[in-house]
Amino acid sequence: MNEELEELPLLETLDHLLDRGVVIAGEAVISIGDVDLLYLGLNIVLANVDAVMRVSKR
Amino acid sequence: MKSIAIGAHLLRDDVEPLAEAVPVGDLFLSALSVADDQPLGDRELLLQVAGIRAKLLDVATFIAIRYGFAFTSAEEARSKCGAHLERWRRVLTANRDHVEMTLKVAASSPEARPDRHAFTSGAEYLRALHAATQAANVDPAFREAAERLIVPLARRHRWSHRDEKSVELTALVARERLDEVKQAGEELRRIAPHVPFLLSGPWPLEVFADDDHE
Repeated sequence: MNEELEELPLLETLDHLLDRGVVIAGEAVISIGDVDLLYLGLNIVLANVDAVMRVSKR
Repeated sequence: MKSIAIGAHLLRDDVEPLAEAVPVGDLFLSALSVADDQPLGDRELLLQVAGIRAKLLDVATFIAIRYGFAFTSAEEARSKCGAHLERWRRVLTANRDHVEMTLKVAASSPEARPDRHAFTSGAEYLRALHAATQAANVDPAFREAAERLIVPLARRHRWSHRDEKSVELTALVARERLDEVKQAGEELRRIAPHVPFLLSGPWPLEVFADDDHE
């Protein structure tokens, strides 16, 4: 499995890590260096674009 | 110290000794402890978590937790996961011998990604982004071949639009059928050499993590 992981394009591996799976309600800051890139604090933002659009119309 | 959550598992033995096992209800979170000031976006940390994820999947199927959820105590983890536990148990029990495979296919007529600077409203930009993503389509002959070759091997499958340049087929597959899925991928490469695609996996329960109906 590890050999297979190394053969996979890095972007695909990181895409699965960063953009798939269950989102837990809570807070997280993803930072590179001293710059906070992403603040995860609202389920609504993480749900999907459709959900964001529905709420934006209210 | 803080702990980065990796997945939700049925058994402690599914986690240890590869990762820290944090009890949440009658399930366990796999986690990696790092210093409080460790930036979660660190490349080496991301790769380390990806490596642990792969090793954990070798042991048993688990529900992937999207990277970024960190906690400082077991109590905090329990309180934030509490609403999910009953569903997680059902999903894990039903799919213990299954994993996900992903077929990412280049769109046959990819849309241009909207330029965010061209919008004065965030909502309008999101609508344009959503429209561009949903407009991505796969070559019909390739889609037919993928459904003929891969879908019969899957317990469940789902096509999804993830961006404006590709479409994905995710298949929930029994571990014992992984070789057949890989052979199906080789067959797709043979019959559709003009269509760029990537068959990857096995992955933990990601797309089907919230899907507990049988």
